[in-house]
Amino acid sequence: MVIDLATLSPFLPELAVLAAALLIFLLDVLGVRELEALGAVAVAGLGAALLFVLADLGFTPLLGVRTLSASLVDAPIAAGSLYAFTSLGLVFQVIFLLATLLVALASLSRPSREPGGAVFFGLLLLAALGMMLVALAADLIFLLLALEVTAIASYLLVGYPRRDSRGLEAAMKFYIIGALSAALSFFGASLLYGAYGSTSLLVLGHSLPAGGNGELAIAGYAFLLVGLGFEVTAVPFHMWAVDVYDGAPDDVSAFLAGGTKKVGLFAFFLVFLGPVLLVVAPGTSASGNFHASVQLVLALLAVATMTVGNVLALMQREMKRLLAYSSISQAGYMLLGIAVGTAPAVAGATFQIFAHVFLKAGAFLVVAAVAGLGVGPLVTDWKGLGVRRPWLGAGFTLMLLGLAGIPLTIGFFSKFILFSATVQAEGLFVWLALIGLLNSALSVFYYGRILKVMYMDRAEPGEEPKPTAVAARLALGGIGWGRGCAIGLCVALIVAFGIDPGPILTVFQSAATHFLTLGV
Amino acid sequence: MIGVLSELLLLLVGGTLLTFAAGRVARWVALGTSLLFLFGVAYLLSAFSWPLLNPSTGVPQFAFSESAPWVSLPWLTINYSVGVDGISLPFVLLTAILQIVTVVYTFEETKRPSAWFGLVLLTCLGCYGVFISLDILQFFLFWEAVLIPMFFMIGYWGGLRRRYAALKFFIYTHVASVVMLISLFGVAFYSHATSFDFASLYASAPALAGTTQVFLFLGLFFGFGVKFPIVPFHTWLPDAHVEAPTGGSVLLAGLLLKLGGYGLIRWGLEVLPNGLEHVAPLLYAVAFASIIWGAFLSLSQRDLKRMVAYSSINHMGIVLLAIAVYSQLGVIAAVLLMFAHGIVSALLFMVAGSVHHTFGSRDIVTVNGITPTTPVLATMTMVGALASLGLPALISFPAEFLAFLATWDRLGYWVLVPLLVLVVTAGFYIWMMQRLLFGPPRSVPADAHDLPSYEAIAMGMLVALTVLYGILPGLLTNLIVHAPIYGLP
Repeated sequence: MVIDLATLSPFLPELAVLAAALLIFLLDVLGVRELEALGAVAVAGLGAALLFVLADLGFTPLLGVRTLSASLVDAPIAAGSLYAFTSLGLVFQVIFLLATLLVALASLSRPSREPGGAVFFGLLLLAALGMMLVALAADLIFLLLALEVTAIASYLLVGYPRRDSRGLEAAMKFYIIGALSAALSFFGASLLYGAYGSTSLLVLGHSLPAGGNGELAIAGYAFLLVGLGFEVTAVPFHMWAVDVYDGAPDDVSAFLAGGTKKVGLFAFFLVFLGPVLLVVAPGTSASGNFHASVQLVLALLAVATMTVGNVLALMQREMKRLLAYSSISQAGYMLLGIAVGTAPAVAGATFQIFAHVFLKAGAFLVVAAVAGLGVGPLVTDWKGLGVRRPWLGAGFTLMLLGLAGIPLTIGFFSKFILFSATVQAEGLFVWLALIGLLNSALSVFYYGRILKVMYMDRAEPGEEPKPTAVAARLALGGIGWGRGCAIGLCVALIVAFGIDPGPILTVFQSAATHFLTLGV
Repeated sequence: MIGVLSELLLLLVGGTLLTFAAGRVARWVALGTSLLFLFGVAYLLSAFSWPLLNPSTGVPQFAFSESAPWVSLPWLTINYSVGVDGISLPFVLLTAILQIVTVVYTFEETKRPSAWFGLVLLTCLGCYGVFISLDILQFFLFWEAVLIPMFFMIGYWGGLRRRYAALKFFIYTHVASVVMLISLFGVAFYSHATSFDFASLYASAPALAGTTQVFLFLGLFFGFGVKFPIVPFHTWLPDAHVEAPTGGSVLLAGLLLKLGGYGLIRWGLEVLPNGLEHVAPLLYAVAFASIIWGAFLSLSQRDLKRMVAYSSINHMGIVLLAIAVYSQLGVIAAVLLMFAHGIVSALLFMVAGSVHHTFGSRDIVTVNGITPTTPVLATMTMVGALASLGLPALISFPAEFLAFLATWDRLGYWVLVPLLVLVVTAGFYIWMMQRLLFGPPRSVPADAHDLPSYEAIAMGMLVALTVLYGILPGLLTNLIVHAPIYGLP
């Protein structure tokens, strides 16, 4: 097959990220060690990819750089095709790129000439590349391989500061669990192949788990559920997440919570929503029954995830562990949207995932900034911070309020849309919405506790933490421009979409509608 | 072109932001904003005209109404939609009054004044937003937004156990809001309303099945009831009140408790009348429990502030009773009673605060005979207590009278329950006055002095309103009837 530019042009966003990654490794070989230079390449590559994807989504001011003709987006998927351009996939590419961009921006504020800078940025971009490929998948094997690209890059990211034993332990744990989950997923895929002789998501969707091969297929789906369940930290497959988020370098934690976890969620969309929903009308046939039971399993998974995450978060004393558990509970809300599976609910889940990037990645970036200011790992170490550093405190407050779903933040609207869509689905789902909302009320308790510590407890005079030597040299009082910009961007988007979510919601809604009708 | 309600909202938003940023002159900015807002509300009152039923649809229309699309999806339409009628306008007026008296009363606040005045304005902004909102989402947005400034007011400026109280307040009311939100969703989706607008819910809700209405109403009742607060969900209130700073207590009792009552009338009684009728016996029981329990708890308190806080439970119980009897008179009485309680409880919380400043304690048993030392404060205390126990010619009397009349119409001799409890209410106020005002002076601090001028001005304004509306309750009742309650018995 002759590869010419015209065939490659739809992949320009992916190529931009790949080129940036390769350029960074090349620069490293040439002896360029300045973090700022390497980071600038990463930011430029990600930024370019983001512009291309936004243009492909039909974002009017950018139509000039469109790489993908409009007729290709949401086009019927050809049989045997490995990839497809769906508008929901493009939306997720935007989400992945934004998460990576935030982390890359924030990492610019790390000490220049820090060893391993090239490794960090290079791997970050490769992880982003894997994520972007997941968003294009139309084939189970393509999907799982793309997931592996991201996974392998992120194992290394967790452990790259080699002298940090906690990071190494986290990386090892992450690697073992990741390998297990990949093995389970591939086994599930092979069972599905055995049942239907294809790994195309479209074919799988049209082949109903009924008749002679039905049991094989159901076992395959079960293995996939467990394998992907590890990726999205669904309870009871969540144990690894907290240790990994806690042990990883702060910026990497932001990337894991804000970025790579969302990939697993999109894989859930593809495997359990796309194919399974092709056969609607539950209860009327074997396929309908299968769909109904998948819904029930996903719903139980969602409820367990949000409840366990929240309850365990209540008991945490360390800030990063608390945020990690809260991240698990948030995954529960997103799974809820997948369980409901109507277009509004999918749009709501997508919105929730989008919001979570800024809320949770932003929160971990603030944690990283605060660690540089000499504040310890415990929640109580943050006392008086809101009064001492009013801007940083206000930003973090907004993120916590957003995670709790308080109005005038993006988190309020995302939960509002998700839960109103759940209630709209009627029947059993009303109770799910109630459980979800009560969970969200429960979460207010631990977010409120952090606010209480930050604003109402005082540090004794003289015991105020001192910035570390490295941080003391940075701009913005020890935070640094890069990190400051990343946090500022999060806050700006949290507030802007918290006041007027209309434009992006319309995009999510139409993307979700197209996604659910792809194979019909 | 935006309407006057939106202009006032923008005024409050701008004033709040400016106050936060104003530093040393924050109090003047806050005062200016409150004055402008009061003038604006006065204009609303003067220009208010009868909101008519739309003759073609039978849906009530609101005065000064505006509507603009906010979020529109195929399955969900959310509008920015505001308007007032005879029920919400008194609450808007109450917001304006309490905002300015709180700013004046705490004029000398020294602990981070710009943040304090900003939060006071933010609380009032949230309440104003709740009272003018005619869309579920917008209503809920403002409803929740009120929690945050109050959380910080209690938690940063409050008493010794302020952190516990702030968190408890936040959790209790947030859980309640969540249940309320689910029920409002239910009303919208089950009735297949075209949007989240009041008008569209009002038009489509009657089509709901009877049991659905009952369940939805119970959800709403729980959500609004915690804010009331009703027994047995009242335990956040004494903690929040006792630990809150005086200004916080004034807004909490004067405005935040009213959100529950207003919400129950607007979204419960008007949208789901059948639901209300079916669960009315439950509401009566809860109302009686709140009335009795609140009164006896007040009777057993030594702390002046705690006593006033518990008496709020008693008064809001009467409000619930007046709503539950489901008649035109009942609604008028409920609104009037809430307005009266807003004014009087604000006054009494200010009294408690001033007694505490001057004598270093609020303990009625140890602080005695304040009249010779602080005659002005003693006078204010007297007016507040007499108004609260329902003396004729003061504001609470016509309100309670109408409430009992409405109860009599509907429940007959059951009206004796709240009437007899009035004896207890009178008892604890008279006991309080006897000790606090007329007992032998004890433990007077050397530097005790009468009210500072700004505190006296704030209380004086409330006393004047107490007398004015006590003599001329028609000023309010003529307003309240202009609401979609004509269909009621």
